[in-house]
Amino acid sequence: MGNTTNKTGILQWLHLLFGAGLLISFFLPWVSWKEFPVSGSAIATGDFFTTSVAVSGPENPFPKLDFSFYIFWLIPLLAAISVTFVVLKKKVVPIAFIAGALSLALVTVYFLFTNTLAIDFSIGNNVWGMLKISAYIHALCAAVLIITAFPVKTLVPKIIWLLLGPVLAYGAYKFGEKQVMAETFTTTDKVKADFTIAATDLIKEFIGNDTATNKKYLDKTLVVNGDASAVEMLADSTSTIKFADSTGSYVIFSLEKDQLNRVKNIKAGDPVSLKGVCSGSIFSEILGTTSISFKRAILNLK
Amino acid sequence: MKKTILFLSLVTITGNIMAQKVTTTSAVVSFDATTPKDALPKAENKTVIASFDKTTGAIAFEAAVNNFAFSNPKIQEHFNAATWMNSASFPKFTFTGTVDKINKVKFKKDGTYKVNVTGTLTVKGIAKPISAPATVTVAGGVISATSTFSIKLKDYSITGAPIEAGKVAEKPTITVTASFN
Repeated sequence: MGNTTNKTGILQWLHLLFGAGLLISFFLPWVSWKEFPVSGSAIATGDFFTTSVAVSGPENPFPKLDFSFYIFWLIPLLAAISVTFVVLKKKVVPIAFIAGALSLALVTVYFLFTNTLAIDFSIGNNVWGMLKISAYIHALCAAVLIITAFPVKTLVPKIIWLLLGPVLAYGAYKFGEKQVMAETFTTTDKVKADFTIAATDLIKEFIGNDTATNKKYLDKTLVVNGDASAVEMLADSTSTIKFADSTGSYVIFSLEKDQLNRVKNIKAGDPVSLKGVCSGSIFSEILGTTSISFKRAILNLK
Repeated sequence: MKKTILFLSLVTITGNIMAQKVTTTSAVVSFDATTPKDALPKAENKTVIASFDKTTGAIAFEAAVNNFAFSNPKIQEHFNAATWMNSASFPKFTFTGTVDKINKVKFKKDGTYKVNVTGTLTVKGIAKPISAPATVTVAGGVISATSTFSIKLKDYSITGAPIEAGKVAEKPTITVTASFN
């Protein structure tokens, strides 16, 4: 009887200690991305993806789900409640289970996302070197919080709660990753043009100040109007249409395969309206002129 | 009269010299760095500038890095990022070289010729010598050239975890195709 009481007392002390550890470590840096420390709370405050973008990592691929990150505020809240309940000698189940599972899920997400930054974005060498001691402490505290939760004495439910967070987080992350990797560019006809401009004016603007103009138009969708100076059919059933000025500088559009039938009817000298994504300009040493190129282009109207 | 003949002769000679050099702004360069783990890192640029001198065999290419079109937006973003091609600082790839044994290619007669091209490929501001087999085809007055070769990304200081993790090929295949009218 005395042994059982002692054992329960130790478990309660451990629960108290690791509950407090969970609460504190949530606000400490878990990872470092290019010397930017990112705390566990960053996911709930919104700093997680802000920091990712700051280090040239990805934006939140699902911004509509931003609100769901507030759920992680439950970690410090439930940890505090669980610790208080231990002091008051009240049941900590299921509060401790939920706090622990959420924490382990969050550590899993940080691990996977940091691994993505390292592998796909070359930010840092490897995930293990980027993880901070606080992340390990948080995971340990979460596991102990679940194991010492009372009055549940059997191991099976505790093992299930230990695995639940990481398994769900891993599944959700891999599903999201698959969605992002399966994504393709929206077809240009469905994209609203950011600018509409005459080809000669566009060339003039690039020649006048290529740095500022590249910044203005790079990766933007433009509708460009002018008289075609050359139309070329390529071997793979795609085509290019060019607008040139009197100096030989030119704008060139690489048209999508499905545009071939319409492009076939266009010849040099015809007025054309094209829509495409601007790839900016280069100065050609070969031609001694400025070349402005566009990709994923379509015929806007003839 | 003598001045007129001299002028016309100069125009003819200059015209002949100029006619030896042909150019295009629609050459195609494709880049394939796919691996069994990742089928996404491949792209094409269809607005590559190229020139070819039929007399000397001098050949040159310029490709705007930003105009390589990928199917996946994220991969295209990675490709142009500072950690990879850094297209903001190095906006073009260039190649200058020579087609060997150019005198064996008969430009006035249809035919296909196996040749070798040697020259310098510059990527991210790093110039490296390169040599690759190529095919020159003459058909109805149109000269076409095509070559497939691979480069070591490491040679151009392109390294990182994606390569180590097997998601990007260490030696991507580059295919160049150009038609000169």
